[in-house]
Amino acid sequence: MARKTKSAAIAACMTGALVLAGCGGGGPSAGGGKISDDKVVLAVLNDQSGVYKDLSGPNSVEAVKMAVADYQKKYGDKAVASDIEVISADHQNKPDIANTKAQEMYDRQKADIILDVPTSSAALAVAGVAKQKKKLFIDVGAGTTELTGASCNKYTFHWAYDTAMLAKGAASQVKNGGKKWSLVYPDYAFGQDMNKSFTSAIKEGGGTVQQSIPTPFPNDNFATFITKAASSKPDVIGTMAAGGDLINFVKQFNQSGMRDKATLAVGLMFITDIHSLGVDQFAGTTFTDAWYWNFDKKNREWADRFKEKTDTRPSFAHAANYSAALQYLEAVQRAGTDDSDAVVGELEGKKLNDVFLRDGEVRADHNVIHDTYLAEVKKKSEVNEPWDYEKIINTIPAADAYEPVSKACSL
Amino acid sequence: MTEQSAPTAQLEQTAEVAPARRSTVRWVLLAIGLVAAIALPWFVYPPVAMDIAAWALFAISVDLLLGYTGLLSFGHAAFWGSSAYVTGLIAIHVGVPFPVAILGGMLFAMLIAVPIGYLSVRRTGIYFAMVTLAFAQMIYFVANQWHSLTGGENGLQGIPRSFFGIEQVETDAFYFYYAAVGLILLGAWAAWRILHSPFGRVLVAIRDNPARARALGYDVERYKVVVFVLSAGLAGLAGGVFSISHGFASLQELAWTTSGKVVLPVLGGIGTLWGGPVGAALVVLLEDKLATIGFDGIGIITGSIFIVIVLLFRRGLWGTARTVLQGLADRRHRAPRD
Repeated sequence: MARKTKSAAIAACMTGALVLAGCGGGGPSAGGGKISDDKVVLAVLNDQSGVYKDLSGPNSVEAVKMAVADYQKKYGDKAVASDIEVISADHQNKPDIANTKAQEMYDRQKADIILDVPTSSAALAVAGVAKQKKKLFIDVGAGTTELTGASCNKYTFHWAYDTAMLAKGAASQVKNGGKKWSLVYPDYAFGQDMNKSFTSAIKEGGGTVQQSIPTPFPNDNFATFITKAASSKPDVIGTMAAGGDLINFVKQFNQSGMRDKATLAVGLMFITDIHSLGVDQFAGTTFTDAWYWNFDKKNREWADRFKEKTDTRPSFAHAANYSAALQYLEAVQRAGTDDSDAVVGELEGKKLNDVFLRDGEVRADHNVIHDTYLAEVKKKSEVNEPWDYEKIINTIPAADAYEPVSKACSL
Repeated sequence: MTEQSAPTAQLEQTAEVAPARRSTVRWVLLAIGLVAAIALPWFVYPPVAMDIAAWALFAISVDLLLGYTGLLSFGHAAFWGSSAYVTGLIAIHVGVPFPVAILGGMLFAMLIAVPIGYLSVRRTGIYFAMVTLAFAQMIYFVANQWHSLTGGENGLQGIPRSFFGIEQVETDAFYFYYAAVGLILLGAWAAWRILHSPFGRVLVAIRDNPARARALGYDVERYKVVVFVLSAGLAGLAGGVFSISHGFASLQELAWTTSGKVVLPVLGGIGTLWGGPVGAALVVLLEDKLATIGFDGIGIITGSIFIVIVLLFRRGLWGTARTVLQGLADRRHRAPRD
């Protein structure tokens, strides 16, 4: 039984190769022949039941479906991909499940592209599968720079954000007066990386880092670390805590009375974090955002459509998944086929613009750069409607928002 | 532990049955198990089949301690995970065929099991579980902090699957399964051999009554250390196969949640050897199916299944099935005599 599908897959690949060879010689005959299995399959692999469920999860599947609908509406009968299917799976943030599911999606469910995949280890595992199977993978949910560094490959792209971009964005407030910084970071790889990139970004911007204080991870009691960070009278206290630790940190920061003396900058935060803890707890906090739904009219229109489907406002991960799916389909349209190499060729080096990507560009290391934003959380009195949480302070142009192309990466 | 009386009663029961019939049943079961192991990737997606096989051996290694020696190790992730990493590191940096790398990982797991076992078998019950958990957490933090070697929470990625240049095995999960399942079967056979040796009988004696075993002149601690190291070796073998199969080793392999996979043999039935594989197949297949079901309360489903099995099938799935079958067989056997 299994053998049959497998040989069918091989046959399909062979046919695909033959058709391609035919294209080179004669030119296209029928529209359907250039699409493998006569169908383009977009697979969303993310956390649909755990900690990242709200910031991406099932609503990202909806966002991808929106992209498919928009593509079909735009091209109608001229669409190269006439039949498009969106599938999804829950990797439960476990790299081994992500790895197995990715193989299954590419092999059995005929996925042409996998999207999202939060959690660094899971994302890197899927990147390995994409490389082996020579199929596309666009990561949105994970923050590791490794995806476009030493572990980069021809078929993997990194949309939306990474840890270096978060640091650059937050450090942009140096020019708004936040010169003296104290950093508090959890003492494991993510925290150490963030601490390193924040320190260099702040120095580059002309600020100083007075202290870098490591904390255990995970941790409940941050009181001593906050007191220590405050002792040098910084303008900004930066925390690299995430998830449950971040919530503890913010509560204790507010109770310590530091709130009036220094700005709190959060390394990585999603709008869903603000929503779950309440805007009041975070009021005045600054962080880097890759996209904000209420930034301009264009974003708002998209967010309204998103709300109709999901009854909630989108996080930047939702918008980025939409953008990634849309740009993939556009690339298929330009290439006239869903063959991976042809589509990669249509994406590489391209300048892209859509509701999510402003001044976007696919770089040589397959990091997709775009304008990013320094956001401040509003006070409760300033909030005009549900989810109206952010004030955009700075827009960081794409060229300055990311680290230069990684030397460790060779596709 | 109170449940331990169950397998003991069963052992006595089996002892009553005529030895000839018992060995026939054993051979039939062995044949079924072998066929199941060989046929698995035809029915289940091959990488999932490989996961089932690896977790089955892990469950057997836990059962060796829990079911047959009465030691609940809550730190078995240390051996599964450290072997996964060492196997990966050998495969990446030395580039030997994968069975050799796995062997290296297994030996490393046994090596670290010696001091851990030596220090922890002095305690029993919950204290033993806590000490093993503490060691496992220590190894977890070493792997987390030693970023340059292990990749920290990114995991050790890109582990090659070299196998004497045979391309099908190196790239196709279906053929890889057959290349690797031999190692798993070898491990399972080793467990079976250990338990059906005089050494294994002593282990059962230690489980049932350590004081009496000591009085008979057996060095209880030494037996425990030896079985602990052997069990670690089997867990390491399974972990090595797992990391080669997936092409990476991550911190999850060392996390306490992996040690929590001690539930595998409990689900299947402890002290039965076959229970481990049954539990592993159940849990891995469930995890795989639930990933695409589109229901966000996965924990609720797995939790309820666990509760139901523990409440209704005290001897686990396999243990209960075996008791029922035995009951039926005995009744039929006795009937003509009446």
